[in-house]
Amino acid sequence: MSLPLRSNRVIPLLALLALALLWCLDFVSIQPNRIAPGSGLGLLAALGPVWALLLTGLLLACGLLALWSPRPTYGPILALVWLLLLQLPASLAWSIERHIGADLPYARVGIGAGCWSLLFLLGLLLIELQQRLGLSRVWLLGSAVVLALLLGWLAGQGWLEPLALLREYQSRRSQFAAALSSHLALVGAAVGASLLFGGAIALLLQRYPRAHKGSIGLLSFIQTIPSLALFGLLIAPLSYLSAQFPALQQLNIRGIGWAPALLALIAYSLLPIVRNTCVALQEVEAGVIESARGMGMSPAQVFLQVRLPLAMPLIIEGVRVTSIQAIGLTAVAALIGAGGFGTFIFQGLGQSAMDLIILGALPIIVLALLADGLFSLLGEGFSSGARR
Amino acid sequence: MIELRNVSKLFGQTRAVDAISLSVQTGELCVLIGTSGCGKSTTLRMINRLIAHSAGSIRIDGRDIEQIDPQQLRRGIGYAIQNTGLFPHWTVARNIAVVPRLLGWPAARIRRRVEELLHLLDLAPAEFAAKYPSQLSGGQAQRVGVARALAGDPDILLMDEPFGALDPITRESLQNELLRIQAQLRKTIVFVTHDMDEALKLANRIVVMDKGRIVQQDSPQALLAKPANAFVENLLGGQERGLKQAGLLRVATLMQVLTTAAAPLAGPRIKATDNLRQALSLMLWHRCSSLPVVDEQGRQVGVLRLDALLDRPR
Ligand SMILES: Nc1ncnc2c1ncn2[C@@H]1O[C@H](COP(=O)(O)OP(=O)(O)O)[C@@H](O)[C@H]1O
Ligand SMILES: [Mg+2]
Repeated sequence: MSLPLRSNRVIPLLALLALALLWCLDFVSIQPNRIAPGSGLGLLAALGPVWALLLTGLLLACGLLALWSPRPTYGPILALVWLLLLQLPASLAWSIERHIGADLPYARVGIGAGCWSLLFLLGLLLIELQQRLGLSRVWLLGSAVVLALLLGWLAGQGWLEPLALLREYQSRRSQFAAALSSHLALVGAAVGASLLFGGAIALLLQRYPRAHKGSIGLLSFIQTIPSLALFGLLIAPLSYLSAQFPALQQLNIRGIGWAPALLALIAYSLLPIVRNTCVALQEVEAGVIESARGMGMSPAQVFLQVRLPLAMPLIIEGVRVTSIQAIGLTAVAALIGAGGFGTFIFQGLGQSAMDLIILGALPIIVLALLADGLFSLLGEGFSSGARR
Repeated sequence: MIELRNVSKLFGQTRAVDAISLSVQTGELCVLIGTSGCGKSTTLRMINRLIAHSAGSIRIDGRDIEQIDPQQLRRGIGYAIQNTGLFPHWTVARNIAVVPRLLGWPAARIRRRVEELLHLLDLAPAEFAAKYPSQLSGGQAQRVGVARALAGDPDILLMDEPFGALDPITRESLQNELLRIQAQLRKTIVFVTHDMDEALKLANRIVVMDKGRIVQQDSPQALLAKPANAFVENLLGGQERGLKQAGLLRVATLMQVLTTAAAPLAGPRIKATDNLRQALSLMLWHRCSSLPVVDEQGRQVGVLRLDALLDRPR
């Protein structure tokens, strides 16, 4: 049997993989209480035959649509992937409905590997479809937001109450809010400060190009230091400074806490910002700058009206990369007491509480996705008029 | 009027421009020509102070340009370059409005001026004003480039190989456009090219440069008649000189005039405003030794004979 030449093989492969993992791995696991060991439930046991077959059918349909139509029709496949994605919260609610009765008031339902695999592979399918259809990256973000809203609504209705993730959240509401605000504050301050310093460094490097190689070399070197090591390295000098100057203690600047974390985050963020900004400013076509000068613009006008706006999309790309990197690194900063979602991850690792780890990891992923979508949108907005 | 006196430019050890003296009269279209790297662009860019000259003096209308603020100077001089240098993030209208905005014109006057220039360069304002440079063809972009150079109504226009990157047909139509605009506006234009046909077609005066020096400056006819040396002769295309010269002369100058205009006729014919090179080509093609000459309405007004071409005075 020969496949049509133009058929898409990525989508069937992903769909098939999702199908296999869905049937082989546990969909959910159930613990009578937080201490007791959990027992896993496969797809069939968790959702019953009708729902399980429906899922199987939808995934097969995705693969077949991509494979057999003479020209893959991505629209219907996208609709199917969306349906699969949006049924995920519902399927969790349904399995809770099926298995948790009033006799198990402390029961906890863990999301199983099969369910996570399905979510992950659906994400990959969405990315593939987004690229095939040439949709904006913001589109992916929209899907994630809709999914999150649906989850939130179901949780609000009380249907997801026994979900372990939710129970962990409910017993840590205030800590969660604190983690969110300290995570955001650290990332925001780090990206903001590196944009300021990095921009200034890039401007200086424009003026003194001979320092370019050395500066980029130094920043690249910092980038190669493992994050944990850099956090650790900053503890000693900051403790010393803090001991010497009581004023610093008043500001809560010590060897551990937010100060070393912020310094390390800025050190890591400088490279992508400086490099992108330098490239962005240099890449502006020489003829454009020459005619700006030839028209009689002042150096400041050339920079503000021509060079900077034309460099903007690439600069924003640097900010995008930097913020995603900082969101991830801030998780590690929890180890030196800087707070943030990393706290839950390391607590969870200590207690072998998988759901607590996820409670820390999931918001980090969501924040990274949000930053990605937001800055992509901003970059697209800046380049729409300038597309060459 | 632009006067360069003993102007030199050194880039480190290289003498890009070597003691050139040149004066361009008001309303003149002066073409700088020479092989690549001979210092044409450098000369041009010293006039609007994009490059500072190392020695000598440059005067515009009698004022030394070093006495004029460079930005002020440049706002009063139109500048158009190869590959347009249009601002990709601005619309056509905004691109054209650059100098008027720098000059602080009121918005209504700028709007009128942009529209006027789009008309002048044969670009429909409704269609083109809101487009971005990336949406234009090469020829349209270069028209916008010329419109932008004209926007502040400068007396002087500097053009650095503006049509160099265009295909031959588009280039020809833009050259005609430039001649039409120049006949209308009478700017003082310094035009850089490396294409002798373009120079012969456009120039009132051709300035031939080689290795930073001026080798010869003359009217196109005089240049063709008496090239100063082998370099200029070579630049003129050696054996093709005869054709190039014929290209400068109108059919009307050598035709035998008919006393009464005759009715339109069929077959090979030539317009009185065409040049002798085109006439010669038609004769070669149709293997004939004389052609009827017609006016714009297609009525015969004269006859052009091959003998007249051969017998014309030197
Ligand atoms: N900014 C510069 N720095 C150093 N050398 C230059 C610079 N600009 C031009 N030159 C040199 O000056 C000479 C003349 O250049 P140019 O005026 O651009 O020639 P062209 O006649 O092709 O326009 C060339 O040898 C070129 O390499
Ligand atoms: Mg040049």
